[in-house]
Amino acid sequence: MSKEVFVTALNNSLKEIRNICPDIKCSFLFTKDGTLVAEDALTDDIAMEKAMSPLQNLTEKAVMIGDLDSFLIDGSKGKVYISYTNEIYLAMVLSNDADMLYLRSVTHVIIPTILKLLETVFPTPAKPQKLDSSLQLFVDNLSGLRSRFIGDTVEIGHETRNQLLDLLNGGDVNEVEIEAFNGKKARCKVKEIEDSELEKKSLIRIPEKTIQALEVKKGELVKVRPITSKDLNVASKELKKEESPDYNYDIISTFGESQSVMWRILKK
Amino acid sequence: MKMSNNSKSEEEIQNLRRNLEEIKAREGVLGYILRASTSAAVDIKDPSKIIGYAALSASVLESGEEISKIFNLGEIKTILLEGADTKILSLITDDHRLSIFMEKKFDHKELYADLSLS
Repeated sequence: MSKEVFVTALNNSLKEIRNICPDIKCSFLFTKDGTLVAEDALTDDIAMEKAMSPLQNLTEKAVMIGDLDSFLIDGSKGKVYISYTNEIYLAMVLSNDADMLYLRSVTHVIIPTILKLLETVFPTPAKPQKLDSSLQLFVDNLSGLRSRFIGDTVEIGHETRNQLLDLLNGGDVNEVEIEAFNGKKARCKVKEIEDSELEKKSLIRIPEKTIQALEVKKGELVKVRPITSKDLNVASKELKKEESPDYNYDIISTFGESQSVMWRILKK
Repeated sequence: MKMSNNSKSEEEIQNLRRNLEEIKAREGVLGYILRASTSAAVDIKDPSKIIGYAALSASVLESGEEISKIFNLGEIKTILLEGADTKILSLITDDHRLSIFMEKKFDHKELYADLSLS
């Protein structure tokens, strides 16, 4: 299903929810990374965009308590209620005397049902696009302490790794070449991790330093190609060509089908 | 004590502190952070969570105030954040900002009533 149809269906759903719950002044749906998915017609676009930054900040910090499940601001003139369902946040601006129990029961039933229905009728394009010798994956940044310790290693999900293995026709995937659409390339080691988000959104989590080198941003597509033994042979030949006048390079051994090569530097 | 920007007497704040001491001893209450403009009282049962809870408390209050302004919600009475197994009830009284951490099943409405803030 095209994105437009999906968004229109959700926009209409929000409108219908407002029709049965007049206490809802406006509502919108957004994802954890701060992307607006849908809104009802009464939502003030500027207000919604302004709200995304504090909301994103909050969803990130809520990891401390096992992610945001719900958030309610009770003010003297109205309320804002945010709830999480099916990997999406529903934000509603409510009148002061809104019946929260009724709203919770309505939204916790209707929104998941609509999302499930839309996914069933029109599966969303969550799978990575397969090219001849590479996959297209979305960039996610690997930041914080983990980024420091992981070096030049990228993280992918189990299914993505299997798809890379298919491209290799045998062997193992321990290293990949990432190519941005600006032509910049980087070679990284690969680590498979258990993370449903990586699988569902076709993400590749790349250390900040490599992201900068590739000149890409979070959410952009990159081509990911597994490194083969052929690549390593070419690399070794290239290296031989560029021999230093003082040193020779000699391959001692290779590991696995397509992996690391151990070099010996010999003084002439 | 009334939730407003009016000045609260020192006695009322002392009363709040006494109530907090009583509340934190209850099973299911994980602790609290009470911040004033120049001081803070932090009492979290699990010391390893103090820094994380302090950051989360600040984020809840800041985000709450910001969103409240954006959507014109008026004066904030309470802010409630619920996670997988923990929830936080935050309040702003004068220059005091309070966050109480508790297990998700804990009745925060009863706790709010016991704070004698309304």
